[in-house]
Formats: sequence, structure tokens, C-alpha cells
Amino acid sequence: MKKYPLGEFEEVVLLTVGVLYNDAYGVRIKDELEKRLERRISVGALQSALRRMESKGYLESKFGEKTNERGGKRKRYFFITSYGKKALESSRDVRNNLWNDIPNIALDLD
Amino acid sequence: MIKRAAEKFFKWYCHPDYYEDIKGDLNELYERQLIHANASKAERFYALEVILLFRPSIIRSFHWWDITNTLEMIQNYLKIGLRNLRKHPFYSFIHILGLALGLAAFLFIHHYRVFEKSYDRFHYQPEQLVRLTTDNVLNGKIQVRDAMSFAPSGKALKEELPEVIGHTTTYKTFRMVFKKGELPVEENGVIAVDSNFLNLFNYKVLEGDKETMLLEPYTIVLTESQAKKYFGQTNPMGHTIEVLGRFNRPFRVTGLIEDIPPNTHYSFNTLISLRSFQERIVDDSWRNFNYYTYLLLEKQVNFEQLQSKMPALSRKYLGEDNGLVFNIQPVEDIHLYSDLTFEPEIHGSAKAVYFLGIISIFILLIAWVNYINLSTARAVERAKEVGLRKVVGAQKAHLVGQFLTEAVIINFLGGILALTFVILFLPYFNDLIGKPVFSSVWEHSGLIRDLVLFFILGTIVTGLYPAFLLSSFRPIGVLKGSFGRSRQGTLLRKSLVVIQFAASLILIAATVIVYQQIRYMTNKDLGINTEQMIGFGNPERGQMEIDQYTSQYKSFTDEVNRLPGVAKVAGISDLPGGGSSDISSTSGGVTIIGVTERSESTVYVNGMNDRLQSTLELEIVEGRNFNHEFESDTAAVIVNESLLKVLNVTDPSSVINEYLQFGSNPENDKLLIVGVIKDYNRSSLKNNIEPTIFYHRESPAQTLVKLNQESLTAGINQVEQIWNRFYPNAPFSYSFIDQRFEKLYMEDKRFGFIFLNFSLLAIFVASIGLFGLSSFLALQRTKEVGVRKVLGASVNNIVLLFFKDFLWLILIAVIIGVPLIYMAMNDWLNTYANRINFPWGVLFLAIILVLALAFFTVSYQTWKLARLNPAKTVRHE
Repeated sequence: MKKYPLGEFEEVVLLTVGVLYNDAYGVRIKDELEKRLERRISVGALQSALRRMESKGYLESKFGEKTNERGGKRKRYFFITSYGKKALESSRDVRNNLWNDIPNIALDLD
Repeated sequence: MIKRAAEKFFKWYCHPDYYEDIKGDLNELYERQLIHANASKAERFYALEVILLFRPSIIRSFHWWDITNTLEMIQNYLKIGLRNLRKHPFYSFIHILGLALGLAAFLFIHHYRVFEKSYDRFHYQPEQLVRLTTDNVLNGKIQVRDAMSFAPSGKALKEELPEVIGHTTTYKTFRMVFKKGELPVEENGVIAVDSNFLNLFNYKVLEGDKETMLLEPYTIVLTESQAKKYFGQTNPMGHTIEVLGRFNRPFRVTGLIEDIPPNTHYSFNTLISLRSFQERIVDDSWRNFNYYTYLLLEKQVNFEQLQSKMPALSRKYLGEDNGLVFNIQPVEDIHLYSDLTFEPEIHGSAKAVYFLGIISIFILLIAWVNYINLSTARAVERAKEVGLRKVVGAQKAHLVGQFLTEAVIINFLGGILALTFVILFLPYFNDLIGKPVFSSVWEHSGLIRDLVLFFILGTIVTGLYPAFLLSSFRPIGVLKGSFGRSRQGTLLRKSLVVIQFAASLILIAATVIVYQQIRYMTNKDLGINTEQMIGFGNPERGQMEIDQYTSQYKSFTDEVNRLPGVAKVAGISDLPGGGSSDISSTSGGVTIIGVTERSESTVYVNGMNDRLQSTLELEIVEGRNFNHEFESDTAAVIVNESLLKVLNVTDPSSVINEYLQFGSNPENDKLLIVGVIKDYNRSSLKNNIEPTIFYHRESPAQTLVKLNQESLTAGINQVEQIWNRFYPNAPFSYSFIDQRFEKLYMEDKRFGFIFLNFSLLAIFVASIGLFGLSSFLALQRTKEVGVRKVLGASVNNIVLLFFKDFLWLILIAVIIGVPLIYMAMNDWLNTYANRINFPWGVLFLAIILVLALAFFTVSYQTWKLARLNPAKTVRHE
């Protein structure tokens, strides 16, 4: 079994939350992701990924201050937990090992 | 719009923990969209996001207790509803009884209408069946429309017209006497048909071959019940039944069919082969039209187009100068819409069915109006409840649910009670209608369905308005007690009460007018004296010589005349009080030679002996009665005044001793006119008096006996004894002439009686509703009554003051109702040849009645309150 279950899209979202440290709420994350991935992301896709990771323990969240914007609804800011950090690290390690093990010849395609 | 729906949807499914921030994100995105795109695009985008959010990780969990919560609410609605029902038993009773009566009456009448409209629809191709009839046209105007046609016409039209794919010719026998075993039995339901009959009218054949069983002469086909009557349990096939009279020979049973349903215009219980009448058919040929002919058409034939071919065909077969034109009418329409002479049945009336339909809708509306009125009026009482419920958190939907539930309970109980009424009163209802409309509630298709349907409809109609009215009260207003009566509600209630008054007024007036017209017809002087008079048919002559038969008849009448119980005896061909098809008629033209032109109007022919004049007390206007001692009177006639009118003769004396001639051939017999009699009504007063020519017949087909006043039954017994001695093979079946006339109005009376019953019901339902409403309104003003009394008002003052509110409503109802009554009832009266003038007095009476009715229902509660000690009433509230 996978030690740290983390989907590809989830990983990207998790990383983005890290990038946006202290400013990672729904719309902001969505904008950042769309900019970096160069594709449209629906609120539904993003939110379900966030909630899934929250329930797995990779993320935690807290409400922001109440303002008059957004129809008086508070923002929810997400933060990476240390467990989330481990998951990211493990994912990166797997990739790094893979990169390292690729024989040079295999990528010598030009 | 889309956004709001999407928001609702989102709120409903979203996990409550996630709702706030996601909603906020959505809002933020929406606002951003608004900058770039137009509103509708932004809304669509919003909706799309909401739909894409609908995924397992976002959706809240749906637990079983969410459903039970709703269930518990419904349980609560029911509990509160039932408590309310019990708390006000009087109003609940009025609601339920009113709705039940309304619904039951509506169901009865509705299914009666369905029955009336179902006539002749059970045939295999009902829309393709037509009846061939004959119009008598004079100078381009239709004079008389006759339901009969010529014997060869069906076959001829089938050969001429490609649209006609089948035909049958039938002959309705007048009265036949069968004998099987000892006693002769009179049969009135015998028709003679050709072998095509059962192909057009596909009654189910139980025994015998459909194609051949009516081919041969002297064959007979019985319905099941007739077979049982003559043969009991044994199979009748191949056995014989003796047919007396004209035939006086056995007929062989060649077939057995199932009993025919009651909803056909051409009913019968026995078929005999038309070939048995071969001699008569050949004789009648294209000369006399005494047959009912039916045609089967191709699918979707245009009737008008087909009809337009008829005049040319009529000329081809009947000659150029003949006034008779073939006509076709759809068989489906005969029962309700056909009103021709010589119809085979007393037909129904589309108008009566229509009138009853209106009453049934009236009754149902009145019952519904009762509920709406009383519940909106009682809104005052429940306003506080609504206010408090709202304060403790009830939403409008909950209150609507509460009041709708109450409507459902009351309508449901009303529906159950209605079903009970239908079951209980079914035999009485069938009796009232005189036809087996339906025999069992459960087996009659559609009744339960309609009950459920109208229960649902009734719940919606009666529940919706009060529910929304009551649940829209503002809690602050009602709890402060400054609850003003809604103006709109009052206006609606008043209009509904006006409608109830108008409906009651219309029904009362209409019922009385119907009864007056019937009484007028039954009491009008017929021009003859028919008191204590019986009539009966004489035996058929059969093979006996005419002279022998006549002398036997003469000695019979002489002996009857000598009986102590008998005053007078006379012979006549067609008894007074017969239907329109009982008498013979001719359209071949009639002339008084040298006095008048030939007239081609239909004239009627009757026969009498010289004793008739004194027996019926006919008044001779001019000339003399027949006299059997005058040899020349065998070729003499007496005419009535109506005949002279048809011939444009104004002076009766100018035709005496002139000669009358039928047809256009100058060689035809010349008949000496010896007398002119005053018009008398032979048949129903619905029709005009027939222009009639009386032949002198010494032994006509029927006998009239005037009995002595003291000994009616003794007289009849004596006549029967003589009859049995003279004619042992013929059944003696007599009827009172007065009763024969009454029978002619049976359908009208029945209609009047049905109308009366349902009108009373409608008025009763309206009255209980009004009673409930006015009692409630009076109770609301209890304090006012007390104060007024203290200040010196008398009981009468108060009652009249309160009644005044309703007086206006009655006045408006009168203004609406009177023109409606006049239009509808004048129209109805116009269907009678002898009608009463429009009785304005009745209208006045009806208004007085409505006033009185309203006064008693409205004032009862006020009166009760006003009589109380003011010390009690002032303390009310």
C-alpha cells in the first residue's frame, strides 16, 4: 500500500497552498493553479480536492475575518500540516529516485 | 432566476461545514464575471459551477432522520387538523356534509350523462353507422321529418353509392301475440330484420349461424331472456313458437343472441326474418315507407357530401314531382338529438342532459364555495394561531401545509361519505332515472376514478385559497389584535354568496316552471272526454272473412254495450293517448276536388265507427257523424279543423258534401266529406294537432269502452268475460286512456322530478353553507348585539339590521339570475307546441322564497344572540 496516498491533482493543489502561504483560500488557489497549469479549473474540482486532503490530514484550515465582500461570507484559509509536508516529501523522493535511475541514453532523444 | 435556483440547490446539498466559504468563493467569482460578461452569462457560469460542485466530498450526508422529520411534521399537521375538526363539530359537520352531498350528486348526474351519451356507441363501428330517414319537403321547406324509409332504399343506395358498404332493412312490428303452451302472450319488442342486421349491429350470437339464421321466412331469433321465458332451461334451437294473428303459424327458432344493452335507440327482444313479411314488402315497395333502414359507411365519409347526393337519388327512385327526400343521420346522435316522427323509442333529450349537467356543476360549486367561504370567514379566529406559530419559527410553507392538511382531511371524509351516499342511494337513483344507469359502484368503471379525481380537485380548489390567505397573515399585526378583515377576502366571499343565491333562485324558478308546463299539459282540455275510459286492441282478423269478422265484432260490442258496468262502446283505429308513431300518415298529397289545390303536407289517417262521436263527446263543427245504416258511408270521410287549415279552407261548411282525393292520380277513389269535427289532441301536447282524415270503419283495430262511474273494476271484469267468450285466442290487455296520456308525459315528468330532487339538494347544500357562514359572522358580532340591546334596540331591530347585509347580495343575485332564467326557460318552453306563457309570477314567487330561505338561515343565529341577556353578550371575548 501507498504510505501517503496523494493524487497528482491533489499534489499540485497541496503545493500551491504552500506557495500561497497565508493567502491560500479558494479563489486565490484557483487563480494560481489556472495560471500555472494553463487550464480552467472548476470550483468543484478544487474544493473536493481540498476537502479530501483536509480529511486525510494533509491540510488544515481556519476562517478569516468577516468582511462586506463576497456577500458577507468569510474566507477559509488552508495550511499544510507536517503530515502533508511528509506526503509531499515522499512524493518528491519517489520522483527524484525515478529521475536518478533513468539511464542517460533513455532521455537522449534530441 | 437561474442564480437563485442554483443557490437554493447548492444550499440544499452542500455540507453545512463547507457552505459558507464555498458560497463566498462562488460570490467572488460571480462578481468578477459580472465585470467581464453580462449578467445572464454570469448566472449561467454560476449555475455550472454549482452543478460541478455536486460531488461526494462536498455533498452533505442525508440521514434517515431527515425523512422522519417531514413525516413527523405531517403527523403533527394531522393531529392538529383532527383536533380542530373536533373542536368545532358544527362547522366540521357542515363542511363534510356539504362536500359529500355535492360530490355524490355530481357523481350521480355525471354518470347519468355518461350513460345517455353512451347510446349506440357499443356497436362495432358506431361512427360509420347511419339511419336512412325520409324528409317531406314542400316548396323547398321541410314539413315533416320521418324516421322511416322505403323497403328497397337500403339496397338501392348501396348499389348507387360507393361510400355505402352495408345496409339492413328492418320493420318494427306493432304488437304480436306469441303462443307457447297454453296462454297467448303479447309481445311488444319484436322486430323483423333481414340477414344483414347482425352484421351491422353486432350483437353477440350465442347459437346459430349469423349469416343464414334470418334468411328464411318464418324464422325467429330470441334473446337469452326471451329464450328463458319460453323454453326455460332447454335449448330452444329448432323448436317452434306459435305466432298468432296475421301469421297464425309456427316460427322456427334458428338463433340465440345475448340480451341487448339498455343504451340503444332501437331495442328489441325478439328478431323475426324480414322475409316473413315478403308480401307486404313487395306491396309497399317504393310506395309506402314503413321501414327503418340503416347503412354502414366507409371510414371517414363526409356526411354533408353524402347528403348532397340524396335529392338526385330521391328523384330517380321516387319520381320527379315527389316531395320526399332521403336523409341520413348518424346512429350515435339518434337518442339525444333526433326528434323525428315515428321514432322507435321515446328518445332522450340533449337539452335535459345538458340542464342536469349544469345542476350537477352548480351543486359541486356550491359545496366548494361553502368550504372556501366558511374557512376564510373563520380566518379571524385562527389569525392569532398563525401569528404565534410564525413567532415560534413556523415558515409559510409549514402553515400552508397545516391548512392544506385540514382541507385534505375534510375533503377525504367528505369523499368517504359521498361514496356511502352513492352506495345507499343507488337503487333510488336508478328508479328516479328509470334506466339502469349503473348497478354497482365497484363494477361501474370510472366511478371510483372520478371520486378520487374530484376529491383531489376539490382539495386543491377548496384548500389552496384559504391556506395561502391564512398563512400570509403578519404576526405583528395579528398578535397586536389590530387584525383588520381583509377587504379582498370579504369581496370574494360576498361574490361567492351572490353566486349561491343566484343558483338557488335559478333552480327554484326552473323547477316550478317545469312543473307548471307539465301540469298545463296534463290538465289542458284535450277536446274529448276520456274519463273512466279504457281502450284495448281487437284481435287480428287473420284469415277470417271481413264480413264475418265485422259481424262478430258488432255482436261483441253490442253485448259489451248492454253490460251494466258499461256506459258506451266505440271502435277506433288509433286510440287517443298514443305516441306519435302510432298513427298512419301519408305524404302522397290530398285534394278536395273543386275546392282546394293539392297539398303535399303530411296528413294523418284514422278510422272510427259511428259510435265514437258520442263516446268521446266529439264536437261536430259542420255536417254530420257517420251512420252505419247508410250504405254510401263506406266511402265517406270526416276531417278535422287542422286538415282544413292545411288545405287553406276557412269556411268548414264549404267542404261538406265535396269529395276528397288522395294522391295525384285523378282516377283515385273520391271520398265524400260528410262532416268536420273540432280538433282534439290524439297525442302529446308537445306536438301540434295532426291534420286528420277519419275513415268510416265498422270494425276498426281498437275498442274504447266508457265505464260507469260506480263500478270500474266490475265493468272491466264484465268486458273481459265477454271478450273471452268471443275471442278465446287473444289476450285481453286494456289501458285507461287517461293513463295513456299521462304516459306520454312520463319523460317530462321524470325530468321534472329529477330536476326537483337535485334542485332541492343544491338548495339544501347552499342553505347549510349559508347557515354556517352567517352563524359565524353573527357570533363575531356578539358584543355588538349586546351593546345595541343595552342602548335600546329590540330583537327585531337587530335581526333586520344584520339581515340587511345579505339583502344587497340577494338583490344582485336577482339581477343576475332573472335574465338567465328567462333565457334558459323560455328556450325550453319553446320545445313544446302547447306551452305556457313565461310565468313572471313564478319568478316573483321564487324571489320571495329565496328571501325567506335566506332570512331564516341568516337570522337564526342573530335571533338566538339577540334574545340573550345583554349582560352575557357584552362580556363576550
